[in-house]
Amino acid sequence: MSDQRGLSVHALEVTFGRNHLLRGIDLDVARGETLVLFGPSGVGKTVLLRAVAGLEPAARGQIIIDGRDVTTRGPDARGLGMAFQNFALYPHMSARDNIASPLVARGVAREERERRVGAVADLLRIAHVLGHAPRELSNGQKQRTALARALIGAPGVLLLDDPLRNVDAKLRYEMRLELPRLLRNAGAATLYVTQDYREAMALGDRVAILLDGTIAQLAAPEDIYDRPASRAVARLFGDPPINLLACRPTDGAGGVQVTAAGLRRVLTADRGAIGRECLLGLRPDAIDVHAQPRPGAAPAELVATTPLHERLVVLLRSAGGEEVVASVLGAVPAPGSQVWFSAETAHAALFDAASGARIAAAAPIMEAA
Amino acid sequence: MAHTDAHSSRLGRLLRGIALTAVVVFFLFPIVWIVMMSFQTNEQILRIPPRLVFEPTLINYKALISGKLVTAAGSLDLPFMRNLGNSVLLSAVSVLVSLVLGVPAAYAFARFRFRLGENIAFTLLSFRFAPPLLVLLPLSLYFQDLGLANTYTGLIWVYQLICLPLILWIVRGYFEDASPDVEHAYRVDGHSWWRAFTRIAIPLAGPGIAAAGLLAFIFAWNNFVFALILASADKQPVTVGALAFVTASGIQYGQIAAAIVLSILPTLALALYAQRWLVEGLSLGAVKG
Amino acid sequence: MTLALSQLSKTYPGRDGHPVRAVLGLDLLVQDGEIVALLGSSGCGKTSTLRMIAGFEDVTDGSITLAGRRIDTLPPDRRRVAMAFEGYALYPPLTVAENIGFGLARDRRGLSRKDADKRVQDVAEMLEIADLLAKRPASLSGGQQQRASLARALARDADLHLLDEPMGQLEPQLRAVLRGRVKATLKARNCTSVLVTHDQTEANAMADRIAVMEAGVLQQFGTGAELRDRPANLFVATFFGEPPMNAFSARVQPDGLHPADAPGKAIALPGVPLPDHGVNVVLGVRPHHIRLGEGTLHGSVISNQWLGDQAHVVVEMRDKIVVAVSHARVPLRVGESVAFGFAPEDTHIFDASTGRALAHGMQRP
Repeated sequence: MSDQRGLSVHALEVTFGRNHLLRGIDLDVARGETLVLFGPSGVGKTVLLRAVAGLEPAARGQIIIDGRDVTTRGPDARGLGMAFQNFALYPHMSARDNIASPLVARGVAREERERRVGAVADLLRIAHVLGHAPRELSNGQKQRTALARALIGAPGVLLLDDPLRNVDAKLRYEMRLELPRLLRNAGAATLYVTQDYREAMALGDRVAILLDGTIAQLAAPEDIYDRPASRAVARLFGDPPINLLACRPTDGAGGVQVTAAGLRRVLTADRGAIGRECLLGLRPDAIDVHAQPRPGAAPAELVATTPLHERLVVLLRSAGGEEVVASVLGAVPAPGSQVWFSAETAHAALFDAASGARIAAAAPIMEAA
Repeated sequence: MAHTDAHSSRLGRLLRGIALTAVVVFFLFPIVWIVMMSFQTNEQILRIPPRLVFEPTLINYKALISGKLVTAAGSLDLPFMRNLGNSVLLSAVSVLVSLVLGVPAAYAFARFRFRLGENIAFTLLSFRFAPPLLVLLPLSLYFQDLGLANTYTGLIWVYQLICLPLILWIVRGYFEDASPDVEHAYRVDGHSWWRAFTRIAIPLAGPGIAAAGLLAFIFAWNNFVFALILASADKQPVTVGALAFVTASGIQYGQIAAAIVLSILPTLALALYAQRWLVEGLSLGAVKG
Repeated sequence: MTLALSQLSKTYPGRDGHPVRAVLGLDLLVQDGEIVALLGSSGCGKTSTLRMIAGFEDVTDGSITLAGRRIDTLPPDRRRVAMAFEGYALYPPLTVAENIGFGLARDRRGLSRKDADKRVQDVAEMLEIADLLAKRPASLSGGQQQRASLARALARDADLHLLDEPMGQLEPQLRAVLRGRVKATLKARNCTSVLVTHDQTEANAMADRIAVMEAGVLQQFGTGAELRDRPANLFVATFFGEPPMNAFSARVQPDGLHPADAPGKAIALPGVPLPDHGVNVVLGVRPHHIRLGEGTLHGSVISNQWLGDQAHVVVEMRDKIVVAVSHARVPLRVGESVAFGFAPEDTHIFDASTGRALAHGMQRP
């Protein structure tokens, strides 16, 4: 049993009937740290959060908060703060009473309550709407009220279930900038659920990728982006998604030679990859599109372009008919043009085609035309 | 999402108006007629052809309130006011008991999945399907043995057959409509299960509970057959008490009309007071299940 | 099929007696085969507009003309409009396949059974729900129901396709793929379409032109590039673009702009036509045009987030938050002081009181 301050989850298992919703979940989140739970919908992110909160019974395993085993305790006896995706404000109470609720539960005196509600409302810039009922608040204000309610009790563990999902893009961005500071100051062990990989990278000290009820990878956000543990993780993390190009590596001078979609590269990789069916993972932002041929670039047809923020997402079809997506800055030739594309392979990844497991972090040795 | 044709013709509007008027007249006529009858003597009522214009009299109301009915055959004691009091007592206490039992049960059925849960809920509802006479005879025998016959307690108990299923099913729909996350949030805040139930779940289902209570009150108030068999004169509600107007010397239409008007008043007042809730409660809660 | 909205207005009777003006004098022309997005936050009037076009809402004032027919007086079933509903609106007793084929049977009485089935199959494959065709809506997830609703609208032959937040419930990965496919499908069949969305990424990716709405009023109607490079007013400038444009309050002086949050500093903007001296303006600069480490302004770094392919650096200048986006890593730590600036051609000048755009530094073709 750990006596560290923060949240520990050991071998947690949650079942529904005979189905396993979660299996073998192990997590340690220190006070002041934010761990993002990331994954597509239906993989159990919310179930995990609810199990930690005590809203979902654990079939097996332990949940330890600040050294105290709370696995069998009710949600009211765990010392948590939680923000729900749909806000879950109390519709018949004012914003002030909503926020004060955790303090009321602990019997904090009225004056002290008023003071602390005022302080957290100032912090979240909702002091002017404290007297409003939830239905009179905008979505952004509702979300901040829900956050204030989660923070006010200075909980040891903070559970945030995709709190930015139901607010508009501008507010979401503002909160993405504001939240790291707020969470650092709150000093709680924070579990943060999101489906947006940029939010995960911006807010997470570490990110746990959940797939099929288990943790597929747990690492710093940059490590996940640059060195995804499997094909599935690589596909999830990044927009537009990573290109996965079929290849069969051969023996190359000083490494493994890979030929995919007309590109030929030598990568440092486990030589066990030689001769196996593999997938070369290339991020769209690592691919450059040229109007003229150049050494190391492969020919392709430019099929379509789609603007994405400041970038242009370009769909290419290689000479072999494979689709390659590039995300570039600046202008490209018109659709239908013959172009050439090259790839920056510093973070290229090689996956086993059958198992999807990552074979090696690849680094360029030399380029061959 | 109904489409309303903005440019409907004048003729269409006229026809719609006529149709609406016809419906209103059809439904209001009996009530208007009863009110008019209550201000007439029996002779005026039985006049052929009936007249719309007459000299109103309060004699029927006086007779009911004083409890003395004077007819051609002599004077007769009428326990009408006592009947009215019985109705209020029986209906109100029955609904209160049903609320105390039914609201927590409705919450349990809405929030928890337990073995035979649906079966139990359905069985409770099925009490409303059986014709009352089916259970009344054996019930009256049991009640004789148990000493419950002709007691308020016994009647209130039987009235649960009317009120409890109604409250259970309407309120359950309301609890199901409310997001459980709101209660979960309250629990995570550090409040006990009981407080989450009383401070969050009940207030949020408030309109449904009020509507269900009102509806149960009306059903209990209008009940006739249970009280007819299980209660004697001093415990009878107005529905049964009205039988006394069918006297040896004829039917006292004037007093019956006045009694109906008086007995409608409490439920009417309640219904008007809670009209919005009632409509909402019926259209939202009851159709779900 | 051209869609023309002319002086379209919608007023709802308010609860407290004050009428609510949801849409005000909207003029919009959607060309044959064009995809137009109505973009705005909730309550901006985009959904009311869509519902008026579909016929679920009476028109308070103005007219709607589709393919030369005045349709605002027609009931919805006679407008020849196909719609994907935000709330799915699938028929519960029918299978997904029957739902998708439902409108199709009506549109084309001559369409053979085989062709209709093929159409349903194709659109279902495009939206990756082909394996769900035999199921009923109740057994599907929200995202799957939404795709079935979208499929039903896309399968139809209609004069106009209305898509109301058609991908709101989908996962980001799938959404990114389907945007391109749905657009290609609409284009291939030359479908005139109106897309309602609050997601500017979706609007930008799918629409030929975007109509930005706010408070019932059309703010600007143009291509994504036009909205980005030449925003008509401060609202569009800060609404369109992710992250939002930085906006500095400033006053025009002989030696350039004097920002309110950097007293004593003058920003010279050669080549930018500035208004008269003494006028209060708002200076807008997009985050990826902020250059860190060079320039006359100073601030301290309060966050530096690397998002895999770009860095978002937030600098605090007095009480003003400035966001800079770089496509390479930025070696700045939180708390560090940094100079920053921007090129004159990357600036936008707005009237401080009306918000109207006065000048754009950038003169891209």
